[in-house]
Amino acid sequence: MTAGQAEEKELTLWQIIAPVKRQIYLGMAMSATSGIAWVIALILLRPIVSEMMTAEPDVTTLLRLGGFILLAIVIAIFLRIYSFNWSHRGAFELEEKLRTQLTTHLAKVPLGYVVSTGSGTLKKILMDDVRSLHAFVADSTPLMARAYSLPVITIVFMFIVDWRMALISLAVFPVGFVATRVAFRDYAVARAEADAANERMNRTIIEYVQGMQVVRTFDDGSSSFHRYREALTDATKTVRKWTDGTKHGAFVAQTLFAALPTMAIVLMAGGFLVSNGTLDLPTLLLFLFIAPTLPDSIIPMIFLSVLVNMASAGAKRIGYLLGQPILPEPASPQTPQNGSVRFENVTFTYANRTDPALENVSIEMPEGSITALVGLSGAGKSTVARLIPRFWDVDAGTVYVGDVDVRNLNSDDLMRHISFVFQIPFLLTDTIRENIRLGKPDATDAEVEAAARASQAHDFIVNELPNGYDTKAGDRGTRLSGGQRQRITIARAILQNSPIVVLDEATAFADPENEAKIHAGIANLTAGKTLIVVAHRLSTIQDADQIVVFDKGRVVEQGKHDALVASEGIYANLWHKYNEARSWGLRRHSQQVETGD
Amino acid sequence: MLDTYNNMIQVAGSKKRLLQNGIVLAIVGSILQGIAFALLFPFFINLFAGNSQWQLYGWVMVVLIVIDAGLRWWESNYGYESQMEVANEVRIKLGEKLRNMPLEYLQSRQTGDLNVVLSGNVNDVVLIMGGMYSIVLHTIIVPITTVVITLFIDWRLAIALGVLFPIGVPLYKRMRQVAARENRVSAVAHAAVTSNLIEYAQGLAVLRASRQVGAQSVRLQDSLADLRAKQTKSADLNVLPSISMSSIVQIGILLVTALGVYLALGGTLEIAVLFATLAIAVRFAEPLSIFANMATMFDFMEAAIERINELMSVEPLPVQQPAQRLTEFDIQFEDVEFTYAPENEGEDGELVLRDISFHLPEKSLTALVGESGGGKTTITKLISRYADPQKGAIKIGGVDIRALEQKELMPHISVVFQDVYLFDDSIRNNIRMAKQDATDAEVEAAAEAANCHEFITRLPDGYDTTVGEIGGSLSGGERQRISIARAILNDAPIVLLDEPTSALDTESEVAVQRAIDRLVENKTVVVIAHRLSTVVAADQILVLEDGRIVERGGHDELLVENGRYAAMWAAQQQVRRWKVVS
Repeated sequence: MTAGQAEEKELTLWQIIAPVKRQIYLGMAMSATSGIAWVIALILLRPIVSEMMTAEPDVTTLLRLGGFILLAIVIAIFLRIYSFNWSHRGAFELEEKLRTQLTTHLAKVPLGYVVSTGSGTLKKILMDDVRSLHAFVADSTPLMARAYSLPVITIVFMFIVDWRMALISLAVFPVGFVATRVAFRDYAVARAEADAANERMNRTIIEYVQGMQVVRTFDDGSSSFHRYREALTDATKTVRKWTDGTKHGAFVAQTLFAALPTMAIVLMAGGFLVSNGTLDLPTLLLFLFIAPTLPDSIIPMIFLSVLVNMASAGAKRIGYLLGQPILPEPASPQTPQNGSVRFENVTFTYANRTDPALENVSIEMPEGSITALVGLSGAGKSTVARLIPRFWDVDAGTVYVGDVDVRNLNSDDLMRHISFVFQIPFLLTDTIRENIRLGKPDATDAEVEAAARASQAHDFIVNELPNGYDTKAGDRGTRLSGGQRQRITIARAILQNSPIVVLDEATAFADPENEAKIHAGIANLTAGKTLIVVAHRLSTIQDADQIVVFDKGRVVEQGKHDALVASEGIYANLWHKYNEARSWGLRRHSQQVETGD
Repeated sequence: MLDTYNNMIQVAGSKKRLLQNGIVLAIVGSILQGIAFALLFPFFINLFAGNSQWQLYGWVMVVLIVIDAGLRWWESNYGYESQMEVANEVRIKLGEKLRNMPLEYLQSRQTGDLNVVLSGNVNDVVLIMGGMYSIVLHTIIVPITTVVITLFIDWRLAIALGVLFPIGVPLYKRMRQVAARENRVSAVAHAAVTSNLIEYAQGLAVLRASRQVGAQSVRLQDSLADLRAKQTKSADLNVLPSISMSSIVQIGILLVTALGVYLALGGTLEIAVLFATLAIAVRFAEPLSIFANMATMFDFMEAAIERINELMSVEPLPVQQPAQRLTEFDIQFEDVEFTYAPENEGEDGELVLRDISFHLPEKSLTALVGESGGGKTTITKLISRYADPQKGAIKIGGVDIRALEQKELMPHISVVFQDVYLFDDSIRNNIRMAKQDATDAEVEAAAEAANCHEFITRLPDGYDTTVGEIGGSLSGGERQRISIARAILNDAPIVLLDEPTSALDTESEVAVQRAIDRLVENKTVVVIAHRLSTVVAADQILVLEDGRIVERGGHDELLVENGRYAAMWAAQQQVRRWKVVS
């Protein structure tokens, strides 16, 4: 099986709202009942009309009827309010539950999935997509209950009262449906084209905006503007074609499904029936009151389908994320025996790729040793670093940490056994103290400070930050440089005190003065540990116990620096290139090679 | 309402006639419908009296409905048309703005945010132009027309109808204001959850190691619970405005009925008129009850219009007249002081450059060095007129750059950044972007000079391969070289470099370095350098600290001075000797 392959589980909206379905159904029931109460209030107008047509209208009867109507209206209003409350509370609870469910699930899927998906995309699902469900859960469900229950009740009632008038009241529907059918027969195709054109346009807009900052600095943006304009024209043309095709049908539907045509038909037909004495006036009025309920419910249904479509896209992404297979945890977890790492015939292919990232890789990294992983970008060195903390599971072979297959380790234990110093330091928006303490949640303040001293962070924390260790990282006004952030994460790793340290070109972007301090911090972190370095600057790893050279996912060379250079292979070539790059200077032709290494 | 109209007209720009035509037709149609409703009075009076004239009124009603349908047909064409035309025009205008607005403003806006304005907000607005206004006009004008006609039938009922329904509007507005305030509170809670979720996703490896995940993630759980509490509170306040309109209308119908019955019992109202009034009142209930939903749509649209207009109102940096032309390419900063525009209104901007003066002779090489935040990048930005300095002047070839049109200044400057942006177009067009009329041979010569001809020809369609097809498979170094080819083709006399090789692996680095060597030949070059060894040969090194130039001179001179530069050089030499294992 390829790593990270997802079983796409299509979750419908109704499945997603399962955790709060009690609230939602209750809200819908109340909404439907509220609608029915309103129709009853309208129906009660008829006896009033009848009473008024008698010679001596009875005031008590009228008052009693008025009272009933008032009661029906009050019930309708209160049920609406409660329906609103239930559905909204349900929606909020759902947001909370879904986010908890999603974040819990994220903690169980392969970390590699999280890393490769990226926090931006995940944020969109966890935040925006979950939020987009609100329109459906809170607003659409009650509306839906009302929009579907009202016409049904009304039709049934109309047929009970007078079947001729009932048929007349429904007269516009066959015409309307036929007209829309005809007009929308190519709807799906045209719609797909228009959607595609819109999507192209949106892509161009994004590209235009993103590229603008860069393009502007070397011309006035005229070339990209030209492309932008063309994409807009193209989209407008396609959309115009679509609207030209569909607007007739849309128009017929809009016109017929308005209240007035139905009213006019009811009035004219009713007028004739009243004139020839087969219909009484109160019944005509009754139909005038309730018949337009039918066309009136069509428009909300159209609204609803838009809302449901919007929420469906989000639901699909949420379902996809929840469908990501979790990394299986061992039934009877073992504990790592020591600080060694071993790769045995490991083959691994990233999802959506065909060529393996690692092929039959075997490496021994004994406890306390230093291993440097070297190669061009994409050769596989970073993959090795990521497989150690089990970002993904291997396709073949085994990764051992502390002489135990990583798949037999509890993932939390594994994480604690390894310190990772990432290229981009991660800090919580919390105090510096808490950020360091993440390495060991029960550490005392004294331990935290000792770790900060060892990572060369103590001085700037105390001297440069407004509240010392209690300064919040990320607060306005506290601007930590990349090097400072890096030293805080190193302090965290020192506190964590794991026997294995994985270092991923941790110092590539720091400025020189910071860099010297980071180096000192790293030296303190790695003392006595098993160290695995993903190396870019070859000069830093000359003294490593072993250098493992990767090319296209395979280990091609392995050994100590001097021996590898002497063998004139890939490493030697990289080493020469490296020195050439380092001696480069603008307008200085590489006549002399910088000394000092 | 009038504000909304003015805003709509403003956004519609040259297509405002389409919009106005549509509005006029919608108004006329609504009045006809109002009259149609009013015909219920004579209809019932005659029907009640057994008078066959009811037929006449009925048919007139049918005719009015047909005419109204015809008008709406006409109007909907305007609607579709203005929807498309306005969207197109607004997007083009906004696109034009983006080309001309000060770069400082452009960069202060997040790209995601601008995307939303150009695609989403434009859509919101035109959607409404394409028909929303007609629904709204309809909801308002039809009842008014009918009520006005009712005045002539029975003024008491007319006033009852006229007072009861609109009374909800101010009430509704009031309640919405309260709710809006509360919505802002929950917006803050939303932002907190958002940042916690991002943090969670980014720090999952670390958080897992300390077991702070899922339901155990206290910070995240707290913010989720807080959000839910705030949402619930704001929903409680929102419930009244969204329910009130429909409730008021329902109760209004009951009251109108009661009044009508009372008047009829007193003998001052014809029963037939009472019936017609009931039919009319019931009919107006439904449209008014969806008023709340429409008001939400309008808020939406108002917000969208506001954001579009905000962008529209950004003016390009002024060009001093008479506009000059560039003939020489030395660069001069005279007592330049620069403060960035504040992020939020009312705050102070960040002062990044003070008293900066220097002269860079034509075809010289100048390096800017110093700590991050010292002002290096700002200097290069100001050369391409990112923004105007608050004090002092920047001159190229003796000409103040404020007297240069953008299209005169920009082609004379090539910039090579660390991050390269390539368009989803062919490689050829990506390079040609720098010089629209370049021949294929010129493009290829530039690519050759930039060391990328070889790998481009190995791509499936060579120069015609589109970047999108191979997107991920271009390495950072290859992208960088394509951008350098662009700059070489541009052949601008001034080249600005921002440490273009620091993020590359060794193999690419050498190739990019060679490409840069060709790019900078015989140019006035300004380079931001982190690795001092790359600029040892610079004619002039400016050392910046805290927005000031603290040292200047050649490499050897500065070493002798034994100041900041010498210290940095020593630190770097030490770092170069550092080893993971020591």
